[in-house]
Amino acid sequence: MSRHQKQPDAGGSYGYLVAFDSVEQLLQAAARVRDAGYTRWDAHTPFVVHGLDAAMGIRPTILPYLVFTGGLTGTTCGILLQWFTNAHDYPFLISGKPIFSLPANIPVAFEMTILFAALTALVGMLALNLLPQLAHPLHGSRSFKRATDDRFFISIEARDPIFDPVATRELLESLGGSAVEEVPG
Amino acid sequence: MSATTVDTRALLDNTTDDPRRRAPLVLNHTEFGFVTDTVCGVVERTTPRSWYIAFAAALLMTGVMFAMITYLITTGIGVWGIQVPVGWGFAIVNFVFWVGIGHAGTLISAILFLLRQKWRTSINRFAEGMTIFAVVCAGIFPGIHVGRMWVAYWLFPVPNQMQMWPNFRSPLLWDVFAVGTYATVSLLFWYMGMIPDLATLRDRATTRLRWFVYGVLSLGWRSSNRHWHRFEMAYLLLAALATPLVLSVHSVVSFDFAVSIIPGWHTTIFPPYFVAGAIFSGFAMVVTLVIPTRHFFKLGEIITLRHLENMSKIMLATGMMVGLAYSTEFFIAWYSGNAYESFTFLNRAFGPYAWAYWIMVTCNVVVPQIFWSKRMRTNLVVMWIASILINVGMWFERFVIVVSSLSRDYLPTSWGYYRPTIIDVLTFAGSFGLFFTLFLLFVRFLPIIGMAEVKGVMPAALHGEPGHGDYHGDVVERVGRRGGAR
Amino acid sequence: MKQVADITTEVRRLDPALPLWLGVGAATAAVGIAGAVALASTQEHGWGRLLESYLVSFALFLALTLGALFFVMLQHITRAGWSVVVRRIAETLACNAWLMAVLAIPVVLGMDHLYHWSHVEAAAHDPVLVGKMGFLNPTFFVIRLGIYFLIWGLLAWFFHRTSVRQDTTLDPKLTVRMERAAGPGLVLFALSANFAAFDLLMSLDPHWFSTIFGVYYFAVSVVTFFAVMPKILVSLQWKGVLSRAVTVEHFHDLGKLLFAFNVFWAYIAFSQYMLIWYGNIPEETQWYLKRQTGDWAWVSLALLVFHFIIPFLVLVSRAVKRRPRLLAFTGSYMVVMCWLDLYWLVIPEFSPGSVRFGLIDVFCFLGVAGVYTLALTFRLKRHSLIAEGDPRLQESMAFHTA
Repeated sequence: MSRHQKQPDAGGSYGYLVAFDSVEQLLQAAARVRDAGYTRWDAHTPFVVHGLDAAMGIRPTILPYLVFTGGLTGTTCGILLQWFTNAHDYPFLISGKPIFSLPANIPVAFEMTILFAALTALVGMLALNLLPQLAHPLHGSRSFKRATDDRFFISIEARDPIFDPVATRELLESLGGSAVEEVPG
Repeated sequence: MSATTVDTRALLDNTTDDPRRRAPLVLNHTEFGFVTDTVCGVVERTTPRSWYIAFAAALLMTGVMFAMITYLITTGIGVWGIQVPVGWGFAIVNFVFWVGIGHAGTLISAILFLLRQKWRTSINRFAEGMTIFAVVCAGIFPGIHVGRMWVAYWLFPVPNQMQMWPNFRSPLLWDVFAVGTYATVSLLFWYMGMIPDLATLRDRATTRLRWFVYGVLSLGWRSSNRHWHRFEMAYLLLAALATPLVLSVHSVVSFDFAVSIIPGWHTTIFPPYFVAGAIFSGFAMVVTLVIPTRHFFKLGEIITLRHLENMSKIMLATGMMVGLAYSTEFFIAWYSGNAYESFTFLNRAFGPYAWAYWIMVTCNVVVPQIFWSKRMRTNLVVMWIASILINVGMWFERFVIVVSSLSRDYLPTSWGYYRPTIIDVLTFAGSFGLFFTLFLLFVRFLPIIGMAEVKGVMPAALHGEPGHGDYHGDVVERVGRRGGAR
Repeated sequence: MKQVADITTEVRRLDPALPLWLGVGAATAAVGIAGAVALASTQEHGWGRLLESYLVSFALFLALTLGALFFVMLQHITRAGWSVVVRRIAETLACNAWLMAVLAIPVVLGMDHLYHWSHVEAAAHDPVLVGKMGFLNPTFFVIRLGIYFLIWGLLAWFFHRTSVRQDTTLDPKLTVRMERAAGPGLVLFALSANFAAFDLLMSLDPHWFSTIFGVYYFAVSVVTFFAVMPKILVSLQWKGVLSRAVTVEHFHDLGKLLFAFNVFWAYIAFSQYMLIWYGNIPEETQWYLKRQTGDWAWVSLALLVFHFIIPFLVLVSRAVKRRPRLLAFTGSYMVVMCWLDLYWLVIPEFSPGSVRFGLIDVFCFLGVAGVYTLALTFRLKRHSLIAEGDPRLQESMAFHTA
């Protein structure tokens, strides 16, 4: 019946939201949304659900490569810093050690590697996720608050190229979750 | 809770050894909401009076420490007991002690993660918090030891009025980088893991202030699986980075001693031996903190007896490693054929600091032996007392290393005996105040158990896949016969 | 849902691979022994060089055996589930401790050549060695070796026998018993392996000492073990044995452990080098000086690059660890590197300044490897290749890394 009331359009609505009680239901539902060809959709779970990435068809993230690059940058900076300060800008001899001596430079180079890589991991993760994003239409839904507690959600955005107010709702209703909720944009 | 009328011990015992099934990690409950309610409940319920009392006491101790530091700065380093030949006294002992404490947090959050030890989820947040507070305490001591602490920034490679750079061939500078990196990485690992749980607190907030603060802290987390995907990868990468980092930090701390040529300091086993000792003391501190917290906030169904038993086992294992290092050092001191080496070790065991040495051996090697017995491993009182003794022993280990070697140098004419002053003792005691102040704030305002991670290892999260990694199943069946566990 | 293989339909005896293994083992042993003896008897100082090179290969295969023993006990004490399908092979490798006891005989007989401290008259004029005579003397050395091999042999025998018994009895109590034994077992292992490293390798230079040396040899052991395992599994699967029970997930985990312990090795090696380099005390640095002058400097650098940096970059990749053949190849390469590491520990003591690598070293390696393979084959073929009575078998077969 709600189907024939106000329908969302790309401008006025964020999209649809549907909730599930169990991981099994969510996984089956996600696979069906994926197979239906949607691209601008998401699942929302209170914890990492193994197998969901495959059920949603998410491709591996590039984060490891970013972190590797960050680490290499750290090593280079660590070595250059030590070379510049102790061997180039103000060379001085101490305790009979060479001016530029790799063994003594390894600890700092190592720590800089880890520091740069770790910062890249956190910042890279947030940047790829477009976080922080304090205001988001989904936060307006009351039921959605349980996504951080014990319920599992699937949302499909109205911006999805194959989004259709009627057909998408029908698909979501057939998944066996709660009543489909329309999230205002 | 109503559980007090039932035999709580039987209810909470999941330590039985049946290799046919994995023990449950959350007892008596299968629904995710239980975890949310229990953990958030700690933060959301009105502050108990006992918290205020504890907090006031901790704050007082912190005040004592800052008073002592003020006295030190205004008067001079002579208020401490350090003197020629023992130029490194309490401050360095305390520094190594506190840095070591932190290591258990990283072991639990990173190394046990890589080893797929799913039981870590109940205690990792807690231990990571402890890491950060311990590193804060540790950082203070070298900072106030440098003498002119107003120019402590000379430690960092920033241009300064001397127009000189720090000496990168000095292990003390490696320490600055190692501990600095460690503090930073621990903090971001801790914070990142907390984002989903902060979002939970945001979504449960009943006041506008809580909603706003937790909302900002959780960065707008909306539990999206596309986010979780990268979050998990970032977590894995941070764990893989923190693992060598934690080894390097205490190795670098050990370099402070071992690159010198002082007998008893210059020995090649120091790096791994310091790391084992650090994890040993850190686990002891986790146990010291977790047993009362678990009791006070009634978290026994999430931090179960099995978790504590596992921690006892780790204390036993690392205690044995430390014991092996002690005996190897002793043996090689004799084997080296070097008179100074063998003298140093005989002096440790029978010289003027023999009392400290034997406290160390008793607490670090003898006491953990009780954990060979399962009854001791599952007896909370025994475990708690043993954990405190181990902390005492590990503090004395650093004391023995620092003081006994310095007080008996190569030259008998420059021998001496180090006595700490009351200022030394009060500063050290005050650092516990700071540690507990931070800890109590953490317990009050942040989720002390990683809810999202605990939920992820519950059977309902594993969608019925048998043997999913480290599968911990059969909760329902276990609950059915909860009465008969003893 | 992942389909779990059924253990009863799995090929889990060595038989299909038996002719190949026996053939390769026998041929390798024959070529190796014949070649080594021929070269030793024709070259000048040939027997001495044979003995020195023999110690290198002996130490390598002892490392493999000890690594396997450590792995078995570690799996029990941690109640590991993933590793059940590969544990039997490790148990059998550990049982070769008895073979290694026999192979130690040439080392004992050649003590006179290998260990300078065994010359009592010469040692009597050396004040440092006089002090150590209570420990470093031929009689006590042999007694100690006996004790080590007794400990390793009995531990290996206990874990192998109990596990084999479980194949038929399916008794979960045996798992608990092995778990309980693993604790004290690891304590005995740590003590004996630590001192064995001092005795067999560190005392080659009786003046030199390093407290971390036992940990160093331990690291070599574990790396060698994880390097060999993928190769063994791949060659079994090539003949259709264990082809379903052992999955790419198990290879992945073995690869991760190889990677991790190789980094651990680098950490220990660096710690030892750094502290001695920085302290710069003559009695310690002379050991590294021998390895930093002449040709040996190149071997030292080669270890840094080819034992650490290149394997690090190769094994950090998930793709490599999940391709069993590629992993087995990397593992074999790592075995060669572990051999080079031991060569670098032993040979500079006899040949300072020049590396003098020769055919005899290859023959020695082949000879020991062949004998070792034969002994392994004979023991492996007697029982199932999987600890099939282990209550965690299903968990292991269904295992996949998260």
